[in-house]
Amino acid sequence: MRRVVLAVALALIVAASACKKPQQQGRNLSEANKVAMRPVRLYFEDGNFLLMAEPHNLPLPENPAAAIPVVVREMMKGPANASLARLLPPDTIVRGAYLLPDGTALVDLGGATLQQGWGTGTHEELMAAYSIVQTVTANFADAKRVRLLVNGEPAETLAGHVWLGRSLYPMPSLVEPASR
Amino acid sequence: MKRLILLGFLSILAAATIVVAQSTTQATLRTQNGDKPVAIARQGGQTYFSADDIAAALGGSVAADAHGFRVTINNNVAAFGPDSRFGVVRDDLIEMPVPPVVIDNRPYVTVQFFQGFLAKTADLDVVWDERVRLLSIRPLQHTIVGVQVSVANVQGTSKIVFTLSQNSGYAIVKEQGAYTIRFAAQIRPPFTEQAYEDPNVAKISFTGTDVRIQLTGGDVVGDAYKLENPYRVVLDVRKTAPGPANPVVPLPSRAVEPSGIHTIVIDPGHGGKDIGATGPGGLLEKDATLAIANKLAAALAVKLGARVILTREDDSVVSLDQRTAVANQYKADLFLSVHLNAAPVKGAHGSEVYFLSADASDELAKKAADAENQSTSGHADTQSDLKLILWDLAQQEYLAESNRFAQSIQEEMNALAGIQNRGIKQAPFKVLVGATMPAALVEVAFISNPDEETKIRNEQFQNTVVEALTRAIQRYKNDYETRIGIAQPAAAPAPAATPAQPPATQTTTTARTGT
Repeated sequence: MRRVVLAVALALIVAASACKKPQQQGRNLSEANKVAMRPVRLYFEDGNFLLMAEPHNLPLPENPAAAIPVVVREMMKGPANASLARLLPPDTIVRGAYLLPDGTALVDLGGATLQQGWGTGTHEELMAAYSIVQTVTANFADAKRVRLLVNGEPAETLAGHVWLGRSLYPMPSLVEPASR
Repeated sequence: MKRLILLGFLSILAAATIVVAQSTTQATLRTQNGDKPVAIARQGGQTYFSADDIAAALGGSVAADAHGFRVTINNNVAAFGPDSRFGVVRDDLIEMPVPPVVIDNRPYVTVQFFQGFLAKTADLDVVWDERVRLLSIRPLQHTIVGVQVSVANVQGTSKIVFTLSQNSGYAIVKEQGAYTIRFAAQIRPPFTEQAYEDPNVAKISFTGTDVRIQLTGGDVVGDAYKLENPYRVVLDVRKTAPGPANPVVPLPSRAVEPSGIHTIVIDPGHGGKDIGATGPGGLLEKDATLAIANKLAAALAVKLGARVILTREDDSVVSLDQRTAVANQYKADLFLSVHLNAAPVKGAHGSEVYFLSADASDELAKKAADAENQSTSGHADTQSDLKLILWDLAQQEYLAESNRFAQSIQEEMNALAGIQNRGIKQAPFKVLVGATMPAALVEVAFISNPDEETKIRNEQFQNTVVEALTRAIQRYKNDYETRIGIAQPAAAPAPAATPAQPPATQTTTTARTGT
């Protein structure tokens, strides 16, 4: 009886050790990650109708692949400075954010307002989209452009104006000179 | 005892099954160069393929960096990364059902990655046959392309859209009372024959690779163009004036022979369920833009003698593509989209004028080159072949004129008392992308500002805005026609803040022409 039990246990151990579990790439890439408080700049609209950087310190991994969603989610919480305005509807969530090797950052947005149709003007929509672009590209040197998705899918616009069918590049004319 | 032994065997069997499910195995990769093995893995009901094996079979390679992987085949590069089911090639997204996985530090992707990559860059299709474990990479035209058909009539123009499951070359032949589209690929039609109760389209029928569009009469002419994402072939047909039928399918307007500003399309922003921005007092942007656009159309018809077309005349939904399609369809010489602004910052006020941003155009220029190469090397083998026209590229060649047009509008809006200049700007606005003529978007005022909302409701303020826009268009028209040598330099009216007389109002006609 003991031999049988031992044999079964050994067989299970051998079989389990033979399993080659596929690793998710994120796990692979996060091997070198080291979480530490790091300075970042989050962009919000100021009284001049331009994007202004607000400095924050966040616990971030070294790896941009893991850090980008943390930074964009922090931006969605809004500014600490009351003179700056939060952009994007309050119920907007960041479903995911990724950086591809060609320098394209994908930021996947969600939330009821964006899904059902956000009614706003060109200025607010433009600033909202580029606040994400500016926040991502200013904090991650490898990110050259940003492609916005809504609920995991390519979207035509956020609110009927700014075309999301292509990647958005930083637009310095929308940013305070001191924050560029 | 027997039970224990059985349990032991079952456990071993279960564990062995996991080993098989999570290990890589071999399948066959078939290309024009012959058969090669390709490593595959199964996980969560998905089949993943070794990106290295497929790239190598096509003479390419896969490189890794801190963000993911970069696949290079024939100098075309596609990238994919951690946890993302979207890859990127030439700034187009490649959609996969699930993110890639990494096994032994090498990337494995689903078949959709290479389908998207190779269809966009090499005109190749990738097909996985699970039954015989064969992955085939072959020329795209050998595959069967699914076709869906829709017919809609907007303002007298019937828009026939053939949505393709993947790219295919095509040729169009105009016959008496019919068009035939001949696809380069084998197609899977949605029906054999279908009749339509449409003013211009009587019947659509499929035979082999041909689709025949039977028109309601010989006085119907059409424009055709191709769109991407998804791939579509669009044929716009409309009745023409009595006379000899046009034997050639005209292309959407291109400023080949400049002849002045005669047709102007005014686009009242938003409409229907797309209400646009809402003022603090409840004013809807879609209602205000329609009111201003109606007045502007009437003023332009009277004062400029122009043919003026509205993209919508009532509270209806009109897609962004359709708005510029109307302008292109009527071969408009100018396109102006009218909007009201909104900002989260209190106190935002004044007008803004936009034209398409340059960086959008730069990106599109690259796609233009690609499209040009594709159209000249591909299927343009018949006389009546239509050139590929990418909707995304249309505004590219009109940016300089759009800049002048926007500048003219901004100067007039600046001169309006109480409206502060917030400057001419560029932005990647979708409604401007497809216009094949100088195009601009004006934000009349901030509906989010209570004071400006009150102004916008005021009829006199609307008239003042209309007068300013009319003067701006007149100034641009004079300037443009002088530059191309069909008008004498005229003393252009200086910007003025004088409130205008209310223009004659017409509310029902789509095209308005002054006499």
